[in-house]
Amino acid sequence: MDDLFTQATVYANDYVRQWREGGGRVVGYNCVFAPLELFEAAGLLPYRIRALSNAQTDLADAHLSRFNCGFCRSCLQLGLNGAYAFLDGLIEINGCDHLRGAFENWQYVKPTPFFHYLKVPHIVIDDALDYFADQLVQLKAKLEIHFAVTIADDALRAATARQARVRELLRRAYALRERERPGLTGAQTMALVLLGSTMPAEQFIALLEKELAARENESLPAPRARLLIGGAATDEVELLRELESLGALFVTDSLCYGARAFWSLTAPADGDPLRALAKLYLSNTLCPRMFEDYPSRSAFILAAAERARIDGAVFVHNKFCDVHGIENVLLRKHLEEQGIPVLLLEKEYGAHADRGRLKTRLQAFLERIGRP
Amino acid sequence: MTNLAHQGLFERVANIFSLVDNLGDTLSDAEVEGLLRVLPPESANSISALMAPHLRESSLVFLRTLSTWMREARAMKAAGGKIIMVPFNFPPELITAFDHAAPLTVEVLSTLGVVALEGQGERYWDLAMGLGLPDHACSSNTIELGSMLSGEDFRADGLISAGPGGCDANAKIHEFVSLYMDIPQFVLEKPVDRSPEAVALYRRYYRRLVRQLEEFIGEDLTEEKLRRVNERANRCTELYYELWELHKVRPCPIPNLFSLFVYATRFSMWGTDTGVACMEALVKAARARRAAGAYPAPREKARCLWAYTSIYYDFLGLFNWMENRGITHLADALDLFMPQPVDTTDRETMLDGMADRAWDMPMTRQMGGPSMSAAWIEDVLWAARELDAEAVIYCGHHACKQTWSVVSILRQELLKQAGLPLLILQTDAWNKRMTPIGVVQRQIAEFVDQVVAPQRGGEPTRRRRRRPADSSSASST
Repeated sequence: MDDLFTQATVYANDYVRQWREGGGRVVGYNCVFAPLELFEAAGLLPYRIRALSNAQTDLADAHLSRFNCGFCRSCLQLGLNGAYAFLDGLIEINGCDHLRGAFENWQYVKPTPFFHYLKVPHIVIDDALDYFADQLVQLKAKLEIHFAVTIADDALRAATARQARVRELLRRAYALRERERPGLTGAQTMALVLLGSTMPAEQFIALLEKELAARENESLPAPRARLLIGGAATDEVELLRELESLGALFVTDSLCYGARAFWSLTAPADGDPLRALAKLYLSNTLCPRMFEDYPSRSAFILAAAERARIDGAVFVHNKFCDVHGIENVLLRKHLEEQGIPVLLLEKEYGAHADRGRLKTRLQAFLERIGRP
Repeated sequence: MTNLAHQGLFERVANIFSLVDNLGDTLSDAEVEGLLRVLPPESANSISALMAPHLRESSLVFLRTLSTWMREARAMKAAGGKIIMVPFNFPPELITAFDHAAPLTVEVLSTLGVVALEGQGERYWDLAMGLGLPDHACSSNTIELGSMLSGEDFRADGLISAGPGGCDANAKIHEFVSLYMDIPQFVLEKPVDRSPEAVALYRRYYRRLVRQLEEFIGEDLTEEKLRRVNERANRCTELYYELWELHKVRPCPIPNLFSLFVYATRFSMWGTDTGVACMEALVKAARARRAAGAYPAPREKARCLWAYTSIYYDFLGLFNWMENRGITHLADALDLFMPQPVDTTDRETMLDGMADRAWDMPMTRQMGGPSMSAAWIEDVLWAARELDAEAVIYCGHHACKQTWSVVSILRQELLKQAGLPLLILQTDAWNKRMTPIGVVQRQIAEFVDQVVAPQRGGEPTRRRRRRPADSSSASST
């Protein structure tokens, strides 16, 4: 697990380096609406951009502002300082205003060889689905031209099957985590999810199978409290580890770099594989950037809360993130109506100096819910 | 009797504005003086700005327009009709077309609260913060919506959201209020690209919204009803472009505050007789000022375009403050809604035209474009060239994260493509707590004197020459 942790918390990990050394090409994306299967079928490695608690944003701050979220500024910083020099292309998605700005500035200042803006609707109706399916057709065509590849239906189906297996195994990992005596901490689970979005699916499947088999019969000490963590784009493994050092465990989550990246993406329908992918992602992805879909998101969280038998929930958002900052207030209301205590935490992304405050807040919350 | 301290924003603003109905078409200086004495200090401040002699008559028409807007909404509610809250980036004439519904625009109400109410609506903002909403939410909508959340204001029957894709803060706060208060929300989605397919799709989304509203309001939008508002909207559009042309004259004959008058009318009474009358009054005043060669200052020092919104928390004083110093405020990006006449041939042509107008509403058009920076740059550059602007000012409203995230690109492109300097301010445009107006004024004055004037061929304002250093102060700087 230590090696896994290490690999998950570096940008160009061993898997990426090996892929590159073998002549493979890597395309970066950030948002969970990116159809991984399409890249895989093109023989590309989809790599989910992360900032891994990077707090240095001097280059990015010359372009984004202090009113933009620290996570996006950190991602831009890494794009500009060369940390992501191994990317052969970049996919922008209209996930949120800050991310769009980060990608636009990245392209404006330091263009990548390949760039495409994948436009995702904000509602799920037939017209929107048609539009998104057409967007995937356009993306496919651009990938084929730029990378001189052919994306065959068979390859798409095979990639779809591999991703389905990845998601199935990740759900098993969550089942381990959600047990009465958890087999994984919240930080370890986040590391797994992070690592999975930087390596070829086949290798990740093998790694997961081995890791899960090894952890199946291991149990962590009973935690002081069982918590759900939800909210914004949080890839701060170290932060979770520090918070869990208080004795509580995040036994489940609804994080963007967690369950929301895969949980609800169940096997797509038969038929045209590209349209099936469009339907899979647009209809099932749980994200507060979608409208007319709040009931699905709250139902998902309540189901996770029940499954993991939580004592309370912690919702975090990065300062200036409206999408989660506002939604979290609504979630608190609805969870508290169900008798689930909730702590809302606004945080500055990557601010190590702020961790003491966050731990104090969590400690006070644990006392409030009778788990001192 | 209702405790005034517990009234919501709308009731308080509507009550204050109802006073306007008792005023004549013109007011003498003595009458204005008397009015200022009886008004609460906050309203008096704004009225003082609006009653500046060169725009007094136009201001009275404008105030009556807003008073009528609120009175009609109250009457609609009293008659059992539905009040539909719309955001500023949604054309209200669709709601006006219904016989049994009236639109109220969230951001217009917030602004009226900020310029007219004791406490400038801060109590409603504070209440929203008290619910746990983040302080980086947008005051332009959270002030009015905070008032609704307080339970002391009227309760809207429905909410329209046109924010997705254009502004997260706007879209999420509307969704929040809808879900928190259990008020039905109707979402107008916008495709991001500008392809013909995307335009066609947007028209289908618009029709979906129309169908939802017809069902909700319980009324069919007939061709006759649509034609009624579109004919008036088309007349407003003609007048808009006449004003636009007059803005090109040097020195600009149009008072700075007209920029706000135009978009406030767009966001409230466009497509009504009252809206037409307001626009006609603005054009008439502008024509007269042009004929007279009128300009409020001895000379026009700088023609400025505002790249996004203006600043509203100083009781509209900044508009006149600039004008008195020869700094022309040509337009905001909120004026850049690029109206086009709607083809009134039949119901379908009108719905297509209305959808196209919705597409072009400010923020939707720019921030909801294929690229946030590209569409914004294109519009700002176009307007700057059209209006012969010499500088651009970005108000830097803290909640506009979408513009903040690409303003550095705007700055570079304005300079590169047109040699236009951009001043970037940092404020909350609707809340005085963030930046004192004196700081904003100083930054604008320095920008104009040190950057714009030299470009224009004038000399920068020289700093006071320091005395030659004597031995005792030689080391000080």
